Amino acid sequence: MKYRVALKNLAKAVLVLFLVTFSISILVRWLPGDPIEILMPFATEEGRAALRAELGLDINVVQYYFSWLFDLLRGDFGVWYASTGDGGGVPVRSMLAVALPRSLLIMLYTMVVSIVFAVPLGIFLAYRAETRTDKTISNVLFAVSSIPSFAIGLALAFVVGVQLDLLPVIGYVPFAENPSEHFRSLVMPVVSLSIGLIATFSRLLRVDMIATLREDFVTMASSKGLSNMWILWRHVLRPSSSTLMTSAALQMGALIGGAVVIESVFALNGFGMLLTTAIATRQYLAIQSLVALIAIAYIVFNLIVDVLYAVVDPRVRGGRG
Amino acid sequence: MRKKYTIPTYFAFGWLGFAVFLAVFGSFIPIDGYQVIHGDFIDSPPFTSGHWFGVDSNGYDIFSGIINGARLSIFIAVVSVGLGGFIGSLLGVTAAYYRGRYDSVVNTAFNVVLSVPNLVLALALVAVLATNVDINEAVPTWRRLITLVMSLTIVIIPILGRIARAATLAWSGREFIVAARSMGMRDRHIISRHIVPNVLPALIAVGFLAVGVVIIAEASLSLLGVGIPDGASWGGMIARGRNDLEYNPHALYIPIIALAFTVISTNHVGDVLRGKLDRREGRL
Repeated sequence: MKYRVALKNLAKAVLVLFLVTFSISILVRWLPGDPIEILMPFATEEGRAALRAELGLDINVVQYYFSWLFDLLRGDFGVWYASTGDGGGVPVRSMLAVALPRSLLIMLYTMVVSIVFAVPLGIFLAYRAETRTDKTISNVLFAVSSIPSFAIGLALAFVVGVQLDLLPVIGYVPFAENPSEHFRSLVMPVVSLSIGLIATFSRLLRVDMIATLREDFVTMASSKGLSNMWILWRHVLRPSSSTLMTSAALQMGALIGGAVVIESVFALNGFGMLLTTAIATRQYLAIQSLVALIAIAYIVFNLIVDVLYAVVDPRVRGGRG
Repeated sequence: MRKKYTIPTYFAFGWLGFAVFLAVFGSFIPIDGYQVIHGDFIDSPPFTSGHWFGVDSNGYDIFSGIINGARLSIFIAVVSVGLGGFIGSLLGVTAAYYRGRYDSVVNTAFNVVLSVPNLVLALALVAVLATNVDINEAVPTWRRLITLVMSLTIVIIPILGRIARAATLAWSGREFIVAARSMGMRDRHIISRHIVPNVLPALIAVGFLAVGVVIIAEASLSLLGVGIPDGASWGGMIARGRNDLEYNPHALYIPIIALAFTVISTNHVGDVLRGKLDRREGRL
């Protein structure tokens, strides 16, 4: 029974993925102007014809889409054309090899930092529910969750980077090169992305925890004489975490968007910068592959969260879920 | 048991009222336009006489920039949320009311659009729509404005459309709808008289949140260099102020404060409206 539901969800996800990538390839076709003029203004006739064939401008959209799709499945993300060159371009894959790990690391750090700070904060607020401390902190958190991450990033860059001169304002240092510089270069980007998430996550967790704290098993546990800390962390946290997980999956979209802007603010040259540059310089194949990758990542992440539900909350595993 | 409004709520309504007032009547305030260069006052800090918010390093007065930015940012947000909300709820309500294949097509379409993160979608759409056939020719500002509004509208459609669909699904199973249908009332009338009035409050609450999303998206696009040029919107002012952080920080933090206050206020109002709605539902 539940496998059938899982298969149905999977089929839906695959359908959505197919439609997204197909729409993107139509959209990319709609870009006004002659791509050949833009990508290779000084090319020879043969060069133009070769590029035309490579971009699939000589075949119809459907054929073009499937050739792009099979290339993508084989790990070929297309070519990044040099604007001055006559033919030579760099494979998008090799550019991704540099940019993608940076962005993934930033997102990983952001998620870890957000969860590590949000969970204790949410538990604390639920424990102190409806007191003055809770009300004040909750109001502040609400305001903080509305501030866009780039605003926090720019403010940090000014105060910490320029005025106090504590951390580097721009640039990225790989971990292998210099671990301490690596973390120093990422403190401000990660902090500016996580502050909003911490506020959102802890508010959600607080609401769910308050609901769970009213249940009978909590009264039972506390009359057994278990300590408050034990009850909060071992008994209440787990059944209260499903909204937090859904939100974490949904926030991935906002995080990808936020990371694009933050990468530009701190000049980190990650995935987002690659996408922005691709759009600005009209790298047709690159735009298509990059947006498709984002959509795939987002959908897969949501599927994983669906599975995680069942792991965290056994009630979902049964027929009722 | 009417709940009294709290201080943050008054503040949020007050700020939004003030911002909308600036946006609508800003051109009647007797100060120089935002593109007038005050050469003698370059880099003056806030509270300089005649320039309350100071002057940036190009000589533009920041106060008149904020007023003009309020007009543009709020115009973009209201138009795209209004338009996107209208189209989205039209699709969402009819889809949930008629169900069947039409519903699954609409729902899949929403999912497709939602599977690309907001900002990435807006970025891609602006890039496609705002490109000239001749790449060397600059895109005129009005065309940038239209493409920006169109792109953000497309971003908003599925967000509000989904809310409309879910709310309609919940309402169309209620007894009074079934009764109206069995009395032979026309679908059009059931939708306009019974469903829309019930779905609208939820849509308005989420619409306020969507205004915040759009204002942030517009500013982000400006930071990425594809927004309205020449620092005309708040995002444009932030993008321009960012270049000389060191000598002129107020050119950056004043528009950031204006933008952050506005987004906090719209989110708070949306939250309060949603809370009121939940209590109303609870009583029914």
